[in-house]
Amino acid sequence: MIRGCVRLAALSLALLMAGIAAPALAVQEPAAGKKIVRMGVTQAVDSMNPFLAVRIVSSSIHRWTYGYLTVPDSKTLQPSADLAESWTTSDDGLTWTFKIRDAKWSDGKPVTAQDAEYTFNTVMKVDAAKQANGPAVENFESVTATDERTLVIKAKKPQASMLENPIPIVPKHVWEAAGDIGANENVVMPIVGSGPYTVIEYKKDAYAKLKANPTYWRGKPKIDELHVIFYQNPEAAIAGLKKGDIDWIGRLQAPQFESMAGDPAIVQWNTPGRRAAYLQINHGAETIDDKPVGDGHPALRDAKVRQALHHAIDKKALVDQVQSGLAVPADGSIVPPMYSDFFWQAEGEDLVAFDPAKANEILDDAGYKKGADGVRTMPDGKRKLELRFSIHTEEPVEDKLAQFLTGWFKDIGITLTTRKLDSSKFTEETGFTGLFDIAISGWSVNPDPEEVLSTHLCSRRPTAAGEGGGTESFYCDDEFEKLYQEQLAELDRGERAEIIKQMQRRLYTDAPVIALYYPNNLELYRKDRITSITPIPENKGILYGGSGYWPVYTVDAVAAPAAGAAAAGGSIVPGVIGAVVAIVVVGAAGVLIARRRKSNADERE
Amino acid sequence: MTIPLDVEPAADQAAGPGDARSGGRSGGMARYALKKLGGAVLSIAMVIVATFFMFRLIPGDPAIAYTRDVPLSPEQLDLLRKQMGLDKPLLEQFLDFVLRTLRFDLGTSYEYKRPVLDLIGERVGPTLLLAGVGLVIAVSLGLWQGTRAAWNHGGRLDRFSTGISLVLWSVPTFWLGLLLLMVFAAGVGPIPGIFPTRGMEGVDAPDGFAYILHVGHHLVLPCLTLVAVVYAQYLLVMRSSLLDEIGQDYVTTARAKGLRDDEVRRRHAVPNALLPTVTLVFMHVGFVVGGAVSVETVYSWPGLGLLFYEAIQGPDFAVMQGTFMVLCAAVIVMNTLADVLYHVLDPRVRST
Repeated sequence: MIRGCVRLAALSLALLMAGIAAPALAVQEPAAGKKIVRMGVTQAVDSMNPFLAVRIVSSSIHRWTYGYLTVPDSKTLQPSADLAESWTTSDDGLTWTFKIRDAKWSDGKPVTAQDAEYTFNTVMKVDAAKQANGPAVENFESVTATDERTLVIKAKKPQASMLENPIPIVPKHVWEAAGDIGANENVVMPIVGSGPYTVIEYKKDAYAKLKANPTYWRGKPKIDELHVIFYQNPEAAIAGLKKGDIDWIGRLQAPQFESMAGDPAIVQWNTPGRRAAYLQINHGAETIDDKPVGDGHPALRDAKVRQALHHAIDKKALVDQVQSGLAVPADGSIVPPMYSDFFWQAEGEDLVAFDPAKANEILDDAGYKKGADGVRTMPDGKRKLELRFSIHTEEPVEDKLAQFLTGWFKDIGITLTTRKLDSSKFTEETGFTGLFDIAISGWSVNPDPEEVLSTHLCSRRPTAAGEGGGTESFYCDDEFEKLYQEQLAELDRGERAEIIKQMQRRLYTDAPVIALYYPNNLELYRKDRITSITPIPENKGILYGGSGYWPVYTVDAVAAPAAGAAAAGGSIVPGVIGAVVAIVVVGAAGVLIARRRKSNADERE
Repeated sequence: MTIPLDVEPAADQAAGPGDARSGGRSGGMARYALKKLGGAVLSIAMVIVATFFMFRLIPGDPAIAYTRDVPLSPEQLDLLRKQMGLDKPLLEQFLDFVLRTLRFDLGTSYEYKRPVLDLIGERVGPTLLLAGVGLVIAVSLGLWQGTRAAWNHGGRLDRFSTGISLVLWSVPTFWLGLLLLMVFAAGVGPIPGIFPTRGMEGVDAPDGFAYILHVGHHLVLPCLTLVAVVYAQYLLVMRSSLLDEIGQDYVTTARAKGLRDDEVRRRHAVPNALLPTVTLVFMHVGFVVGGAVSVETVYSWPGLGLLFYEAIQGPDFAVMQGTFMVLCAAVIVMNTLADVLYHVLDPRVRST
C-alpha cells in the first residue's frame, strides 16, 4: 500500500513538473499589438468601493476611473475643471454653484448633476459611506441638483478648500440599484465610471486590469490597457521590474531605488516628494480640556531648549547618511517644497542652522548648567536633561537617525536614550497618552495643506479618557489657531498662501515639531516600454501616488510585439530550457518507475 | 517464496501474540477515537479562549491603531469603537466572542469591511494548493532521502543528504525565497528568469487545461522554497526510526533468509520505520503552514499567510484572530487525525 502511494506521488510530481515547464513552450501573447502599461504596487487594494477604500492604491485606481468635481492642474496643482466645468461662489462664500460637464458614463448613460448630488448626500447621510472621505463633507449644509447640469452646495462655514473635494462621483443609476452601500464590493465588471480608464477585471490580491475609456470627455488615453499588479514585497517587485514583468513602480525606499542604479533599461525617477519627516517634541502635552497628560520632560516646555535641540541637528548629514542623499534637508516646516505655492522656507533671523556652539550658548544662558558628567541639569538643579526618543521597531532608518541624534545631543549636554515601540503602542503614547519626550513622525501632504495644518490644532488634542482626534504635536497656540481660522475663510488663493506660510513660520520658531528633511519621491520605470509620461506637477513631479490622473492619462508605451515575433525573438531561450527541463523530468520519472517495475518483476520470480 | 504482510513481523516482534485483545478491538477503537476527539474539542475551546485574551493583551487601542494617520473626530472614533464592540465590558465582549465563534461568525474585518470567514474562505484554496503540494513533495523527498541516509548510515551519502537538509532547514524561509526569486524568476547573468515573480496567476491567464499549467508554472518557486525549508524534519525522523529498526532481530533474520539488501530494506525495515513517521508527518503540518506564511509573503501568493501578514500590518485584529484560530484548529485536527491513524496502523499502540 505504502509503495503504491509513493509511486502515485512520484507520478503526480512528474506530471506536475512537466506541466510546469510546458507554458514556457507555448508562448501565448493575447496582448499582441496592444499598448499595455503594467504598474507594480506593493499595497493590496482594500476595497473597490470608493466610499470605503482608504489605501493609496485603491484611491489611485478611483482617481483614474471616476470623475471628480475638480482635479489639480497638471502645472500649478491648483484646482481645475473636471466634471465641474465651471463654478461660482456667493458673496458670503457659503453657496457654491457648479456647472456639470456634458460627459458620459462608461455604460453610455449621461453624467448629470443628480449623480453628484446622490454621491455627496450618500457620504453625508450613510454612516458606512463615511469611511473613505467623511471629513470632506463635514462642513456641507446641503447638496442639491437644481437641474441636470447644476449642482448647488451650501456650506456651514466659508471653506477655502471647497474646490479640493476628494470624493469620486459615482453613477446614481448603478449604485441605487446595488443596495446597501457598506456591503457593496463594487466588483460587477466592467465597473461603471467616467474617468480615463474603466476597470474591466479585478482579482483580489493579484491585479486590476483597466481599459482605456473611449468615451472619456478629454479623449481616449494613449495606451490601451493599464494593469495594476500587486506584489507583497518590494524586493520581488524590483525583480519583476528588472525582468520586465512590470514596467513601472512608485513609492520606493532608498535601498530598492538604488539597487537599480546603472541599469540601462531603467529610468530612476527622483523628484521632490510630498512627505515631511519631523521630530515631535513633548512641549507639555495637554488634553483637550487643557489638563496636563503624560510624562514629558519639563525642560522641553522651554522654547529655548527646543531651539537648542534644533541647532544641534545637522540635517544635511541626516540626508546624506540616513536617506542616502535622496531627500532635501528641511529649512522649513511641515509643507514640503514640492508645493511651491504653500512652501515656507526660513530665512535670515528665523533660520535655525546647525550650530552646536550656539546651542550650548543658548542652554548656558538659560541656566541649564553642565554637571561633572557633562550632562546638563534643570535651572533648579533637580533633574538632569535626560530625554527619551521614541521610534518604531523594525525601522532601520529610524534606528540610524536615533544614533546621529544621540551623538549630537551629547555634544550639547543632553542625554538621549532610544525607545523602540510597536506601531500601536507608538501611536498611543505619542498621540494620546503623552508618554514621550521626543518622537519621530511624518506626514504626506496633499496639494491643499489644510489637513496637515489641522493636525496641530487645539481641537485635535485627546480627551481625558485618552480618546481624540489625531494631534501630531499636542500643540495649542492662540496665534496658530487664529491664522487657521483666517485661512479657512480666505478665498483668495494668494492671500491664503501667505497665511499658511505664517502658520508654518509659527511652527518653525515655536518648535512643537522640528522638520528634519523631505524624502524624495522615488520611482522606477522601464524606458524600453514607457516612451513618455507627464508627472504631476509637470516640472519634476510625481508619477504614481500624486493627486489627479495626469501621469496615467498621458503615459505612452511601446505596443506589445505580435505573437509570431515573440516566439521567434527573445523568448526562445526560456522555451528551450522549459522543454529540456520537461524532457529530463519526464524521462527521469519514467526511468524510476520502469526500474521499480523491473525490480518488482524480479522479486516475483 | 511467500512473504508475510508488510506490518506483520513488527507486530509479532513488539506485541507478541495478539489474540488476547482481539475481542474488544473495535469497541476499544471507537472509545479511543472518541477520547481523542474529546481532547481535540477541548484544545479548540482553549484556543478560542486564549485567542480572545491574547489579542486583547496586544498594547494599544485597536480603533486608534487602525485609524493611524487618518484624522478622525472623537465622535467618529466612538462610532468605530461601537462598530468593533470595544465599548462593552470585557466579560460581555468575551461572551459575545465565544458565542459568535461557536456559530462560525469570526467577526467583520475593520479594513475590508467584510466577514472574516468570507475572507478566509477566499484564501484557503491557494494555501491548500501550496501547502498540499509542498507537503506531498517534502514528505516523499524526506522519506526517500531519510531511508537512503539511514541505510548507508555514516556513509558519504548520509552525511551529504543530512547535511544539505539541515542547512536548508536552518536557512530563513524569507531569505531563501527571495534568493530563488532573484535567480530563477528575475534571472542572474546567464541564468534566464523562466518563472513568474509573483502570485498564483498572471493577468490574462488562459482557460481550461492551460490554466492548470499556468498555475503550475507559478507554483514552482513557492513550492520549491517550502519543500526546501521543511523536508529536513521528515528526513531526520525517517532516518532515526529506520536506524532503530536496523538493529532488530527480524532484519537479521531477513538477511539470513538470503534476501537481497534492497528487499530487506523495502519490505521489512522501512514499513516498520514508517509507522512513527506517519504520525510525525501529520504532527508537523503546523510547520508547513508556518512556512507557507513566509513563502506566501515573498511570492505574493494570495493565501491565508498573506492575509495574516497583512492583518498584522493593519493591524486588523478581527482578521488576525480569525486566521489564527483557523490555523490552530487545522493543526489540532491534523494531530487528532494522526493519533487515530497511528492507532489504526500500528498494533503496538493498541496494546499499551
